[in-house]
Amino acid sequence: MVNLTIDGKQISVSKAATIYEAAQEAGIHIPVLCYAKKLLPYGACRVCLVEIEQMKGRLIPSCTTPVSEGMVVTTTSEEIKKVRKTVMEFLLVNHVLDCPVCDKGGECDLQDLAYELDSTSNRFEGEKFDLPTDEVNPLIERNMNRCVLCGKCVRVCDEIVGYGSYSFINRGFETKIATAYDRGLNCEFCGQCLSMCPVGALLPRPFKFKARPWQLKEVDSVCGYCGNGCTVTLGVLGDRVETIRFNDKIGVNDGNLCIRGRFGYSYVNDQERLTKPLVRKDGVLVETDWDEALQVVSDGLLKAQGGQGVGFLSGARLTNEEFYLLKQFAKTVGTENVDHSGGECYKGVTEGLKQTLGVAASTATFPQIDKADVILAIRSDFYETHPVVGMVVNQAIRRNDAKLLIVADKKGKLNKLPGAKTLLSKPGLELDVLNAMAKVILDEGLAQTEGVEGVAEFQASLANFTPEKVAARSGVDAEALQAAARQLASAKQGVVLLAYGLPYQGLNKELATAAANLAILTGIPGREGGGLYLCGEKSNSQGAIDLGILPQNGGLGAQAMLAGASNGKLDALYVVSEDPLSSYPDRDKVAQALEKVPFLVVQDIFLSPTAQLADVVLPAVSFAEKDGTFTNAERRIQRVRPGIPSPGEARSDGAIFSALAGKLGNNLSFTSAAAIFTEIGKDVPAYAAIGFNELGAHGKVWGGETLSPASRKLVAVGGGTTVEGEFQLVVGSALYHSGTVSTKAKGPLAVLSEAYAELGREDAKDLNVAEGDLLKISGNGAEIKLKAKVDNRLPKGVVFVPYHFADAEVNRLYKGEPAVSVKISK
Amino acid sequence: MFKEFAKGLSITFKHLLPGHSTTVQYPTVKLKPSERFRGLHRLVPSQDREKCVACYLCPTVCPAKCITVESAENEKGEKYPKVYKIDMLRCIFCGYCVEACPVEAIEMTAEYELANYNREDFEFTKQRLLK
Ligand code: SF4
Ligand code: SF4
Ligand code: SF4
Ligand code: FES
Repeated sequence: MVNLTIDGKQISVSKAATIYEAAQEAGIHIPVLCYAKKLLPYGACRVCLVEIEQMKGRLIPSCTTPVSEGMVVTTTSEEIKKVRKTVMEFLLVNHVLDCPVCDKGGECDLQDLAYELDSTSNRFEGEKFDLPTDEVNPLIERNMNRCVLCGKCVRVCDEIVGYGSYSFINRGFETKIATAYDRGLNCEFCGQCLSMCPVGALLPRPFKFKARPWQLKEVDSVCGYCGNGCTVTLGVLGDRVETIRFNDKIGVNDGNLCIRGRFGYSYVNDQERLTKPLVRKDGVLVETDWDEALQVVSDGLLKAQGGQGVGFLSGARLTNEEFYLLKQFAKTVGTENVDHSGGECYKGVTEGLKQTLGVAASTATFPQIDKADVILAIRSDFYETHPVVGMVVNQAIRRNDAKLLIVADKKGKLNKLPGAKTLLSKPGLELDVLNAMAKVILDEGLAQTEGVEGVAEFQASLANFTPEKVAARSGVDAEALQAAARQLASAKQGVVLLAYGLPYQGLNKELATAAANLAILTGIPGREGGGLYLCGEKSNSQGAIDLGILPQNGGLGAQAMLAGASNGKLDALYVVSEDPLSSYPDRDKVAQALEKVPFLVVQDIFLSPTAQLADVVLPAVSFAEKDGTFTNAERRIQRVRPGIPSPGEARSDGAIFSALAGKLGNNLSFTSAAAIFTEIGKDVPAYAAIGFNELGAHGKVWGGETLSPASRKLVAVGGGTTVEGEFQLVVGSALYHSGTVSTKAKGPLAVLSEAYAELGREDAKDLNVAEGDLLKISGNGAEIKLKAKVDNRLPKGVVFVPYHFADAEVNRLYKGEPAVSVKISK
Repeated sequence: MFKEFAKGLSITFKHLLPGHSTTVQYPTVKLKPSERFRGLHRLVPSQDREKCVACYLCPTVCPAKCITVESAENEKGEKYPKVYKIDMLRCIFCGYCVEACPVEAIEMTAEYELANYNREDFEFTKQRLLK
């Protein structure tokens, strides 16, 4: 701690603090422009000048100057004010004054400063900038005439996002912020830069000229896309969500978002949303009222339950409270056939982690990744599925020198981070690489085996996984593998990351088990700092597991339900917030089940391809209309708040379950989400300790920041298998989308509007394929046509296809295996 | 006392003589209000559109909350008021809107004959205000 005096106030702060931070702590206001809490000090604007007794004679920027013992600081005096005002005059020499048409007006730091410093005139005259605006990219409006060269965009894109779109170019008055070769922006479109820009130089194009900031109602909620659980603050105008507001005060994401969170909101306002229940009459779906629809559903379910039974297939974007009601409703119907997300992808958590660590969740929280020294990411797609955790990884590397190791079958954003070491294996053999790493750690005596069960058996099972053998099979360099293993074993705060979701069906349990084995051997689970993270693809994947939306007590899982529906063993399917036909692997199997099942109910916000097959379609509501909680991938329970009214007669999933249960004689009505949350505590012990009203700015993590594993058991897992054939198709998530919902959102669609088949340059050359060519891809008895995308991400022989787009029908090829052998022709 | 009465009445009678009346024969005769009179609003046109840039300052400052603006982008990429209307029944003719406007796009005219038969007729749309 360091003691200093600011404006006569004695304060003591940590010695790492700057004068500005010290003043802030003491509640003393210093104006700033280029300072941002989450960025490194920079000192570009000189607005924050203060006087220091010991350095009399010149003014010192407070945002970059560290405190020192005995410092005496003055933050306001006539002299300082005069200088700050002059700084403002400089800033405004060539800044266009188009506040009336600038969307930043009303929340512009420059405007506020001009007001605060009473800058009404300028002694200097200069030419106003007249630069062209960037009209090329669909999402971020760049008007460099308004730029004040604070460098926040440059810094955030580099320090936090790790993309590095921008740089300063030219000198002196000509200086400006530009992209490479001064072309239009073409990047991740996460929008971090526009959230940081203090002026109107970078603005969200979808919100262009829509409203003034003071007209918007701000509602803090949680992003409805992935399991990262970022806080999104909905900017509501009337009954529409018009934008997502910057908010770094609450939540886990420090104001960072990805393209889906920041620009993927438009689907909630969509005209095509379902507004009335639909019932099939004479073969066509016709609109009806709720009374009739609920009657048809309850009659149908009762009949089916009297026959072969009912199955519930849920998505993972319901709130915890709705999951609870779903579960109770299924009980009312009399069935245990309840499952979510296709029933396979989450098995890494429910079976893999369960059998090794005895828990079914990530063992630590995201802020701990920031402090990690070694990070192992399994599958490079982690960034694509959970971009904002990926940004934390980037910060760990840049700020704390963390070492990043990646075991993956393709490259991705993570591989581009500084110092990343990639073990690039053939698709399906990541498992072997993990096993080989475990073997190296054990054989070299680096393992932490105290209190670990099953060491001998495990070690014996690894005979076939020597680095050399695995190297030969998988294509990974044996020495790199050994080095990686040693590095992970040496970690003081190690992190292991693995994402799961619908496009990653193969080997989930095995991969998670192998990851847990490695984590146990390197002492990661249960240790303060670092942890093993299994992150679900959807906003409440973890909640679905916690609440037990799983086949229990002999119930059927999703795949068994689909099989049962096809061969007459199930009389009704109730699909909630999911589009199995578009997103589950093996489309034919799903289609057959949906067509054959005598009674199909679909509850969704759009008339999805699955809903088009239904007997009854019930209109549900989006996350922006719900009240309740989501549990993110680090076990953090956070409040979801309604921002807009639901369109037409749409009702929340929870309200529909209550109404239906009421019809079947079970009174499932609750006064509020809080009341249901209390009920959940009775079923789920981990939630009992948490009060709904205690979910403050940062939510509450169940099980504590570091979850102690119930066991540390090594479990042998065999190796994976590769597929033969010239090309191996892997499916996965594209950065710009999440699930199928984002394909209804204008922002993500503007950047990526259709599915593609991605090839490495080498393959493209061999096949004589150029970007955009139409390719025929056949395998697994099916053929699809996709446009080619050519880049450097994929090794030879691997083709990647994103799974989000329903009309691409990728799941005709993809049946849940780690890789599919395919043929490609033009 | 009688004298005082006569004096007073003489003033009264003087004012009854033609040429001394301040009342005008409205509507045949109309008064011209002062320059600073605050009557019906007018949106100032520029060459091919209204001068208004839809900055939302007038609806924000308006104490009667009677101005509705909806901004949009025109073909030239400029910000313009897709909707601009004033509910004249609520307007209190304070003139704050004129004062707030950064581009002098709204002014108040000498027009004071605002009576009408239908409620809807008091809604002054952009077209009416541009006249
Ligand atoms: S949108 Fe994100 S990736 Fe693109 S330039 Fe801005 S910060 Fe960088
Ligand atoms: S564009 Fe914005 S954030 Fe970037 S340097 Fe200019 S003012 Fe700063
Ligand atoms: S999709 Fe995930 S990473 Fe992106 S903003 Fe939403 S929660 Fe955050
Ligand atoms: S805020 Fe300190 S120099 Fe810009």
